[in-house]
Amino acid sequence: MTEPLLKVEQLRKSFGAHDVLRGIDLAVKRGDVTCIVGPSGSGKSTLLRCLNHLETPTKGVVFLNGVPVGVRWKGNRLYQMSFNELARQRQRMGMVFQAFNLFPHKTVLENVTEAPILVRRIKRKAAEVEAMDLLERVGMAERANYYPPQLSGGQQQRAAIARSLAMKPDLMLFDEPTSALDPELVGEVLAVMRQLADDGMTMVVVTHEMGFARDVADHLVFMDGGVIIEEGAPADLLTHPHHERTKAFLSRVLNTV
Amino acid sequence: MKQPPLLQPSIHEVRPLPVPKIWHWIGGAILTLLAMGFVQVLVTNDNMQWGVVAKYLFSAQILSGLGMTLMLTVLAMVLGLAIGIILAIMRLSSSRVFQTTSWGWIWFFRGIPPLVQMIFWYNLALLLPQISIGIPFGPKLASWDTNLLITPFSAAIMGLAFTESAYAAEMIRAGIQAVSSGQTEAAATLGLTRGQTLRRVILPQALRIVIPPIGNDTISMLKFTSLVSVLALPDLLYSAQMVYARTYQTVPLLIVATIWYLVLTTVLTLLEHALEHRLKAEHQKSLAKTRSWFRPRFFGSGQRAY
Repeated sequence: MTEPLLKVEQLRKSFGAHDVLRGIDLAVKRGDVTCIVGPSGSGKSTLLRCLNHLETPTKGVVFLNGVPVGVRWKGNRLYQMSFNELARQRQRMGMVFQAFNLFPHKTVLENVTEAPILVRRIKRKAAEVEAMDLLERVGMAERANYYPPQLSGGQQQRAAIARSLAMKPDLMLFDEPTSALDPELVGEVLAVMRQLADDGMTMVVVTHEMGFARDVADHLVFMDGGVIIEEGAPADLLTHPHHERTKAFLSRVLNTV
Repeated sequence: MKQPPLLQPSIHEVRPLPVPKIWHWIGGAILTLLAMGFVQVLVTNDNMQWGVVAKYLFSAQILSGLGMTLMLTVLAMVLGLAIGIILAIMRLSSSRVFQTTSWGWIWFFRGIPPLVQMIFWYNLALLLPQISIGIPFGPKLASWDTNLLITPFSAAIMGLAFTESAYAAEMIRAGIQAVSSGQTEAAATLGLTRGQTLRRVILPQALRIVIPPIGNDTISMLKFTSLVSVLALPDLLYSAQMVYARTYQTVPLLIVATIWYLVLTTVLTLLEHALEHRLKAEHQKSLAKTRSWFRPRFFGSGQRAY
């Protein structure tokens, strides 16, 4: 039995009196694609943002490679990590946002080379060679010298995926990566993600794309009301859901497709 | 059916004439008269003493005053902006101590007229005869005579720069806040440190936003420097005053100062326009491609049959 790449234990998150996550346990195996689905407000995105501590969990721990994220032992005392210590852990987890969040004042190529040069401290030339390779993979090599506002949403999102990959992460987090896109642009982003999954990247994907979840996910998680209601192989979960809430959600989303 | 007169051309061949703008003509006539009156005063009134103006416009004393005005403007702006950036970052820090300090500084220096400040700084020796570095209530490491440290020049720079820092801090803070939090989050997930995020991602975008108001502030600063004449610091205005105190040619020397202030503000305005234009052009260059992107689709949909 190998240690999972990512492990979440008893994770809770509240914003004031509002409990968004109410005890989450989850394991992500190396090389697996885990899709998290569920109705709006179920806490999917908050869970994803707790994994790399963009939100600090109220309680509970996230382990990456068996090492706790955001906290560290010093003797018998547990300390919060400083921002810059946390930054070192965060580079192991790439993240793709719903709103892309590319740096608008830099070209696509500069967006991709920025972190390798600053954080991995490799030479600009080497970073550019690597970046062009990644942009080739996501089909954006021809747009390397464009600025983000010059690009369509789908192109921006593919560039953002390349930017995350440039840090050679162990794991990629996708926070509703196609939700801000025009319908005709969703396909190109999903195709890149499919390719990434085929190449063996470990991925955690919060999504509303049930087709993608069915075809690509190794593990499907259904969340509602801040807890995991049900999880398992997508084929099982989609065809034989056990819980009423899963059934209700699936009948809603699958009928609209 | 009414027939159109024979000489009337076809409506398809002529352009309609514009509506006559009668009020533009009436208003223009009144303003022209006023302008002519103004020119008459300039030209015919002997009290203007244009000969004296011409004599002093490029005199060494006036030009050195001009240099002082420029130096005060540049130094006060540079120092003010540097302090302003630090204040803005402190204001946005999560530390209450930094937030409160920054708030207090801004409250204090935005609330006091720069003229009052300059006089106060200049008379600091009355409050603190000695300035020392050391531990409060403890031993002193070094100390200086206040009257040696505070010259008219340093008092002027402090008054102008501290006032500017309070205004700049608020502008820069607004600029930083205008950059979306998604930018900080994206930088964080890439493993950038806090300093790298600020320097490489946030400030470049924030400064682009605040360049136009900073340009405006520079023009204001140029004019505010004339306040230093109360400290007998020979800037442009005080140099002119020193001349007319000797020669009693008050009006022509004030005209000399006025001409130079107008020249400097014009140059600064042109620089500001050029800079703004360049920023806008850069922005539009990045949008132009997007537009040509949408255009074929736009026309295409118009040609479709459905």
